[in-house]
Amino acid sequence: MTQGEKRREAHVVGDASDFPEGSHRVVTVGRRQIGVFNIGGKLYGLPNVCPHQTGPLCEGRPPLGTLVSRAENGWRFEWVHDGEIAVCPWHGLEYHVPTGRCLAYPSINLRRYEVVVESGKVKVLV
Amino acid sequence: MTDTAAQTRERKEKLEDILVVDCDVHVHESPKELIPYCEMPWRVALENIKDVQEFYLDIPGFSPGTTAYEAKFPSGQEGTRMVHSPEQMREELDGIHVDIGVLFPDHFLKMPVISQIDYAAALARAYNAWLLDRWCDVDRGLLGCILACPQDPEDAAREIRRYAKEPGMVGVFLPCAGLERLWGHRQYDPIYDAAQEADLPVLLHSVTVIHPVFPFNTHGFETEFGRHICSHTFSMMANLVHMITTGVPVRYPDLRVAVTEAGISWVPFLMHKMDKEYVERRREVPFLEDKPSTYLKKMYFATQPVEEPENPADLVTMMNLYEGEDNTIFASDWPHHDFDHPAKVHQVPFTNEVRRKVFGENALRLFNIDASGNRLNL
Repeated sequence: MTQGEKRREAHVVGDASDFPEGSHRVVTVGRRQIGVFNIGGKLYGLPNVCPHQTGPLCEGRPPLGTLVSRAENGWRFEWVHDGEIAVCPWHGLEYHVPTGRCLAYPSINLRRYEVVVESGKVKVLV
Repeated sequence: MTDTAAQTRERKEKLEDILVVDCDVHVHESPKELIPYCEMPWRVALENIKDVQEFYLDIPGFSPGTTAYEAKFPSGQEGTRMVHSPEQMREELDGIHVDIGVLFPDHFLKMPVISQIDYAAALARAYNAWLLDRWCDVDRGLLGCILACPQDPEDAAREIRRYAKEPGMVGVFLPCAGLERLWGHRQYDPIYDAAQEADLPVLLHSVTVIHPVFPFNTHGFETEFGRHICSHTFSMMANLVHMITTGVPVRYPDLRVAVTEAGISWVPFLMHKMDKEYVERRREVPFLEDKPSTYLKKMYFATQPVEEPENPADLVTMMNLYEGEDNTIFASDWPHHDFDHPAKVHQVPFTNEVRRKVFGENALRLFNIDASGNRLNL
């Protein structure tokens, strides 16, 4: 554990029932806006700011899948990451929510906020 | 030569403190909205399609679309943003720091692909009347462009003269998507006559269509990626080459010409290609009294969709290549899918002086308006 992680504080952002499976919503922690996604029962937190033009990347439609094409599959299109791809509503940059990875730019990886449930309360660690 | 901010070391002005004239924002016109403004018998046709399902810039019998050709995977980035009222427009432009917005249509970007000449002209008349009645409002900073129907240039000229003295109308929109004869064709001279007489600039604006005419014969692409690049940028290049080679800027020396939604990086390319041709083919273009780039540099170029080079200073360099300090104008294209937030252009390391020109002062000169949107030529 790094020193930075030791300093993290848990901020209550709602009840577990506010974040049902398949939902996504933006919460405010201090001056940060954080998108909380419930994908398959697991909670993920991403910043609500797209590095491209600062769009509200967590305020788009519910996460969908996307298309990829790989040599090992003969370059055929494949539908992957179903329900795990958040798309910035401004210009469409795609992000894989569980990893924070931007599909268009390998150099962009979003900060991931750990989100936990304790005693029925959802907490974001910042 | 424009310096970059790094060379001058001045304190960068905040976006909020700069006049922002946005040369391209889009109102949402629909068959239903236009019914009261449309003449018979065409009104009947609008009533007949008023409830059909609308896709992004795609309504049968209104704006023939490209959505029919490909697999439609669900996406978080479908073109669903629309602006339905001047109140909504004002609020949303406030949200992105825009002081004055110049209004273009949504669907009627595709006006040239309507095959019935009289229907196209009737739609243009209905749109112009609706735009002035419902949207144009100097106090709100919402200023309109008269849609010039290319299928009926004589009628387009009448429309320009009809609205020539309207405070809320500041330009003439020349639609380019699917245009049969490019905007340099002599058939459009009545439009240029009327625009120059009214001291209204003409603004070219394209959009993606799949159509037999160049450069919209894009059925060879399997992607919107490919079509979108060609439909905007190549269309602008084709139209400007044609306008310059038929002498429009020489024959209409007081006509101001602006180009929207093609970015700016192609301008130096076109300038140099034309100047090279001119060396051996001047006799084909005897209207011209100087090399073609002389005329191109007098035109105005809107930033959106602004190029995003890794080194933002490259944009300053590109602008310098066409001496663009006084003829580059900001546009956001709000609310469309590829709109630019002004903050993106604000990041470009211009000097404060050039930044003020690009964000507003150049556009004031283009439209001949003051900083409150009042026309100075009435």
